[in-house]
Amino acid sequence: MINRRHFLTTVAVGTASAAALAACGTGSSTSAGETGTAEKPVTINYTWWGNDDRAERTRKAIALFESKNPDIKVNGNFTDFPSYWQKRATEAAGGGLPDVMQWDLSYLRDYGQRNQLLDLGTVKINTDAFEKSLLPSGQIKGKTYGIPTSTNAFAVYYDPAKLASLGVAEPTGNWTYKDFNAFLTEVGTKSGGALFGSTDYTGVWWMFNIWLRQNNIEAFTEDGKLGFSKDDLKKWWNTTAGLRGTPAIISEERVTQLKPKSPLGSNVTVSEVTWDNFMAGYLGDSGAKELKLVPVPSDDPDNLGLFLKPSMLMVASAKTKYKDAAARFIDFMVNDPEVGQIFKTSRGVPASKTQRDGTTFEGTDKLVVDYEKSIEKYLKDAPEPPIVGFGTLEASFNRIASELNYGKVDINGAADAWFKEAEDLIKQNA
Amino acid sequence: MTQSPTLSRRSASSAPAQLRKSKQRGADARAGYTFLLPWLLGFIALTVGPMISSLYLSFTNYNLFEPPKWIGLDNYTSLFQDERFLQSVGVTVSYVVFGTPLKLAAALAVAMLLNSKRRGQGFYRSAFYAPSLIGASVSIAIVWKAMFGDSGPVDQGLSFFGINLGGWVGNPAMTMPMFILLTVWQFGAPMVIFLAGLKQIPNDLYEAASMDGAGPVRKFFNITWPMLSPVIFFNLLMETIHAFQIFASAYIISNGDGGPAGSTLFYTLYLYLRGFSDFRMGYASAMAWLLVIVVGIITLIFFRTSKSWVHYSGDAK
Repeated sequence: MINRRHFLTTVAVGTASAAALAACGTGSSTSAGETGTAEKPVTINYTWWGNDDRAERTRKAIALFESKNPDIKVNGNFTDFPSYWQKRATEAAGGGLPDVMQWDLSYLRDYGQRNQLLDLGTVKINTDAFEKSLLPSGQIKGKTYGIPTSTNAFAVYYDPAKLASLGVAEPTGNWTYKDFNAFLTEVGTKSGGALFGSTDYTGVWWMFNIWLRQNNIEAFTEDGKLGFSKDDLKKWWNTTAGLRGTPAIISEERVTQLKPKSPLGSNVTVSEVTWDNFMAGYLGDSGAKELKLVPVPSDDPDNLGLFLKPSMLMVASAKTKYKDAAARFIDFMVNDPEVGQIFKTSRGVPASKTQRDGTTFEGTDKLVVDYEKSIEKYLKDAPEPPIVGFGTLEASFNRIASELNYGKVDINGAADAWFKEAEDLIKQNA
Repeated sequence: MTQSPTLSRRSASSAPAQLRKSKQRGADARAGYTFLLPWLLGFIALTVGPMISSLYLSFTNYNLFEPPKWIGLDNYTSLFQDERFLQSVGVTVSYVVFGTPLKLAAALAVAMLLNSKRRGQGFYRSAFYAPSLIGASVSIAIVWKAMFGDSGPVDQGLSFFGINLGGWVGNPAMTMPMFILLTVWQFGAPMVIFLAGLKQIPNDLYEAASMDGAGPVRKFFNITWPMLSPVIFFNLLMETIHAFQIFASAYIISNGDGGPAGSTLFYTLYLYLRGFSDFRMGYASAMAWLLVIVVGIITLIFFRTSKSWVHYSGDAK
């Protein structure tokens, strides 16, 4: 029978042992020595975000690096973009960031300004072959925290085969937002809802930034405050107000279902507004033979608001024990022509001239390179590392735009919500 | 029950024996604490220490990289103006209120079925327990996500019956039912405890009731329920606390962002996002402490009200 004392003791013992079990299983390993030898190589950790396609290419690049540098082993690891930053935060809090990391401009200040990243000016990395105008985007207050691997620019992707089957004319890229919306609507109507035009492009944070540039509005002021008003944001979200809920734009439910794949990669939409280096990923995911690129729409034909951004940077942890090995790996990844041959344009167009000239671009890779050449006359300077918390602002922009598409909030409510979060965040980081 | 044997022995012992005994007891205690030490050290270093530091951090503005800045109660007061926080409370409460009773009901029902003497009971018990073994893992959340996705087995099965809900994962109205189903399906742990409790109920009570003409419903409410009430109480308490802590499955199924449209923004998930996506550890700590306090209060309420419905067999009642 169940007796009170006996029962409670049993519960207590059970809980205690569960807690003891939970307490097991932590530990860390350290290895000594700054540099390795071929017999006793050092191991550095390298982490990146991306899909299977990038993982395969990175694996090849690492194998090549190891064969050329027998004294260094590289231990690679990757995740998708959103959880990438949560992992880095956890590691930074515990002082255990990987030795070398692929990095995004949005998060350079968050970590660089807070002494988490190695000053790459103190190690040997050759940057002679880089455009002088590009390097400042990896620098904060004169210190170099990131080396761009490559550049990317914003573009509209479209699938010519699907357009042909629907009988929709291919876009020329010389278009206004009204033209673009008409194009999306035509796709949705002609396909009878089987294919959607694209995702709601007003939910893309960078596209909003480009639109601000097209209207000569600074996204952020010099002192790190918001440079645009709530009305600007409402105006932007109103651009596609008539398309939400129609086949011009894929519903947010479907987008959520398809994750982690993109709608374009899943052959559900015919176009997408995003970075031009996503080509390889989209082709790999969708199995489409060909995707083409045209410039983003603009209501001012002389100002497309476009710029070349470091598509990604290579950084090292400030706490790495293997500065030399880390620097050699970064140098290899950004400069080596064979690495260029492996990645082609999947990281963007190689930033280092050595690497770019050593790479042969054919087929779709040539499209990406040609696209960046074709927009050269519209390009503005590469942006500086954006404000602290830029990545968080982007995440909250994407989330609120998604709620807008779910119909959970209206445009006014969405703009209020985003401004409240943004102002709160900027105040926190001030 | 029986009288404590130590009482009678102690009254018979003399003074020197008493002394010897207390020395002996001191040595016993030392040995006891020595054996307890590994656990105690772990408890202090890994639980008490972090708890105290998180209490301190909850009064600060701390971004992981720079030293914390003291801001008093600001984190706690701003919580209640944070719409996302209030949303996360709503999501979590509805999960606890609907999920826990359903899970316990399922656990009790299956335990009663498995309590009878039938061939192959061992197999059935293992089979019903299996989902709980794998249930908390990441892999099952991924399987679940696929099952309830667009044209997944659930969607296809339902449309066979003419119900077209589409994928549950992307529909904000369907994610909560999905999470409740997931937790109900993992009834194994409380079921095993119920089963152990059911086995403790003497069969003669049921026999006597049968003789008096009691039917199965009457037997359940007049024998099973009161006799099992300590176990029900224990399960209710543990499952409620667990339900408040739901994290892993929500993280996986929503791709770590609490979507779609915030419908899976569980309390701990929001806490995690605040801490590790937005670098607001002070705020996250305040949330953690608020959760501890609320769960503590709920536990207290459970214990208070338990006097009226939980019967221990040693009690006079």
